[in-house]
Amino acid sequence: MKRQSWGIALAVAAGGLIVGTTQVTTTGASSPGATVTLTVGLQQDLDTPNVTAGYLVASYELWNLQYATLTDKAANDFATIPGLAESWTASNDGLTYTYTLRDGLKWSDDQPLTAEDVAWTINTSRDQVWLNHSAVTANLTAVALDDRTVEITSAVPDPKLPTMDVYILPKHIWEEPAAGDVTTYEALDGVGSGPFTLKEWKPGQEWTMEANPNYWQGVAAIDQVVFRLYTDGGAMAAALENGEIDAAHNLPAELFVEMSKHVPSPDLRDGEQGIVTVAGEQGGFTELAMNGMAGGLGDGHPALLDIDVRHAVALAINRDELFERVALGIGTQRDTLGVSPNTEWNPEIPADQQLNYDPAKANELLDNGGYLDTDGDGVREMPDGSRSLTFRYAERSESTQAEGIRELVTGWLAEVGIATEVSVYDDTQLTDIIASGEYDMFVWGWTPFVDPDTLLSYFKCDQVTTDVANPLYNDANWCSPEYDALYAEQNQELDHARRVEIVHEMLTLFHNESTYVVLYHDAETQAYRTDRFEGWLRQPADIGPVLFSNSSPTYYNLKPLAGGTGDDSGDSSTAMTILLIAGGVAVLAAAGFVVIRSRSRRDERD
Amino acid sequence: MSVEADLPLASPRSIRWSRRRASLAETGRRIRKDRLAVIALLVLIGFVLLAIITPWITDRADFNAINTGNNPTNQPPNGDYLLGTDRYGRSVALQLMWGARVSLFVGFVATVLTIVIGVLIGLAAGFFGGWIDALLMRITDWFLVIPFLPTAIVLAAVLERSLWTVVLVIGITSWPSSARLVRSQVLSVRERLYVDRARALGAGRLHIVGRHILPNVTPLILASATLAVPISILTETTLSFLGLGDPTSISWGGMLDQAQQSSAVTAGHWWYYLPPGIAIMLVVLAFTIFGRALEEVLDPRLRAR
Repeated sequence: MKRQSWGIALAVAAGGLIVGTTQVTTTGASSPGATVTLTVGLQQDLDTPNVTAGYLVASYELWNLQYATLTDKAANDFATIPGLAESWTASNDGLTYTYTLRDGLKWSDDQPLTAEDVAWTINTSRDQVWLNHSAVTANLTAVALDDRTVEITSAVPDPKLPTMDVYILPKHIWEEPAAGDVTTYEALDGVGSGPFTLKEWKPGQEWTMEANPNYWQGVAAIDQVVFRLYTDGGAMAAALENGEIDAAHNLPAELFVEMSKHVPSPDLRDGEQGIVTVAGEQGGFTELAMNGMAGGLGDGHPALLDIDVRHAVALAINRDELFERVALGIGTQRDTLGVSPNTEWNPEIPADQQLNYDPAKANELLDNGGYLDTDGDGVREMPDGSRSLTFRYAERSESTQAEGIRELVTGWLAEVGIATEVSVYDDTQLTDIIASGEYDMFVWGWTPFVDPDTLLSYFKCDQVTTDVANPLYNDANWCSPEYDALYAEQNQELDHARRVEIVHEMLTLFHNESTYVVLYHDAETQAYRTDRFEGWLRQPADIGPVLFSNSSPTYYNLKPLAGGTGDDSGDSSTAMTILLIAGGVAVLAAAGFVVIRSRSRRDERD
Repeated sequence: MSVEADLPLASPRSIRWSRRRASLAETGRRIRKDRLAVIALLVLIGFVLLAIITPWITDRADFNAINTGNNPTNQPPNGDYLLGTDRYGRSVALQLMWGARVSLFVGFVATVLTIVIGVLIGLAAGFFGGWIDALLMRITDWFLVIPFLPTAIVLAAVLERSLWTVVLVIGITSWPSSARLVRSQVLSVRERLYVDRARALGAGRLHIVGRHILPNVTPLILASATLAVPISILTETTLSFLGLGDPTSISWGGMLDQAQQSSAVTAGHWWYYLPPGIAIMLVVLAFTIFGRALEEVLDPRLRAR
């Protein structure tokens, strides 16, 4: 469930309700100077702290910090390493794993963390189909053999095991909510087993997490982490530059590029400002999707059912130019979709199958297919002359890159005789349009999890929407029995190398079908200051982000620097005042707009 | 030209027209005395002319991103680009010129819609009175108390995004004040003696409204229309800036939205947001000044004694 900005309007609405009903009010401000606070700026609020209901990126960061998992993911390559479980053994058939928990595990509220918590989480999440658990636990059955031993059995061969990448919840807190509708639970209890736990959430402003004294690796070096919301990316960049925040997530691309220019050395370190910029890749990508009409819903253009037309569209798009001019070169150029932040899953597309910019070849394909401009208006017609090659192009209003992509893509398509009619939708509207099949092409994106299975499953035939009221994931309405067969094979393939091979085959097949033209792989634009903390980790190493990565290892790894300026909460209010005065009346007048605006167009991912 | 000179052989129709010409000339004279209003009018004429001739002197394709790949990006104003370039290398000056067309077009068309709805409702309410008046005025009150911007935002978000949606949204949300204005004027005109006489002579309702009441409220409508244009332009700007306009046709508000999206303020790219901002300010100010002057001339009660 990681659609870029999927359902964000709903989330905002839900957030509004939560403001009214469930705001936490806990202790007052702790004495300054005594606490070491890391402040992170971001542009997306939590949707809910409830892990069975939320799906925004911001919320995943909260859960990554609050809930430890049985097995952990290495910071540099996602390798499975011990977490709450110190060791595990596999049965001969590979279906059953027995995990041994560490000795003396405790929740942050000092209750013991036992095998019973693990078994309860796995079994209950399977039975109740919890949003963020069931992809892993659907076929699992867990039994607590004793306080420290849990036996997990899978009904089918499961290549994901022994990795147990699910948030273990405290049974003593969650048992009661889970007796009713668990998704309505507020989850402000702040009880967890990870390095930090939720202390306070002020919706629309910030949330604070404090170090968990009972974390199994020992208490973190920083006392608390404050996640502060900025409705305007420019204001966030300014806050980072004047030291109000220590790190920023999702900086506007233009400002990110400016900041990066100050960086002299290859390790992106800027001596003057002490700000390091990081373009972190997680496998997320932006694609142009074409309606394959497999669900029989809607009224997609019949020409798009012709693979030659789809290839012509792909060939007409200059992806290099798009990447350089619109994405400002932040991210990577890849031929196929990303199914994991781990790049081993990305296949090498053979040169003769690549669909790189070649308008002459696009024209040739269309000419040979009989799509000729018979009436001389510059737009080709169907071979039977029934209608012109005019495609409806649905644009996302909530992306700052959408305008550039649209102007270039529609321009290039016009050059090969394909016309477009552009409509702009917010994410809720676009979701409806896609579900109803009343589109020809749209531009959107996905961000994958570590295991490729989830993203691969989106393009199966059974994910094609056939009932408007029940939209599924296969948004290009593309169906291939061959792909489905390969999916089923990799889903239960226990030999890792063989599984990688199958996935490569699937992605090559998907690439050649071209219902998705992957425009580029996005990167998270982040930056952090080097003057107060050290130990920032990129996950995966070298290419990944430092914040909002898959298992968020940075926070626990950070150490305050001896020469650091200590708690800067005093400075921040002064800096804020100066900023406001400097901004002047114009900024104040615009503030109202900015608030409403950024509500309707946050460009975060979920 | 004197009114008397035309009289002897004139038909009633030509009398009417010569009177109208005279009153128009009188209005022109009064306006000319107001130097500020004249300047405002010249500014407006300038912008309208610019908007009209833009397609003849420039090419829309010149600032389509597809053709600006070799242009420098985010350039401050210079010899090649009078107002600099944006993040995709598109000339800001060209965008400003083409944006004038959209902004003015929406401003005028939305005003026409506002006035048409307002006049119809105001006329009906004022002339018929009774329960029709009560009903129409309650509806008007209802529209008056709805907070304007949130309504416009919700409407623009729900409807398909196009220029016509923006026009419709402005029309739907800003007609009540002109309806109230027209109604109050109709109420006073309705009670005048010549209306009674016309009625006594057997004039039908349509005749009375068309021949006696409408001509008497027309100056007021004209003045309030002039004042409605800047409001429409500002509303279009606001909606476009909030990303609710039609992104495929560039307007001044849309330029501000683009500037905001490319962090022009923080990055110091002032040439991207100042020109549309100043253009909006100039046009709105000019319309307001001219509208006020016109109102003063056309509505004797506002005239300085």
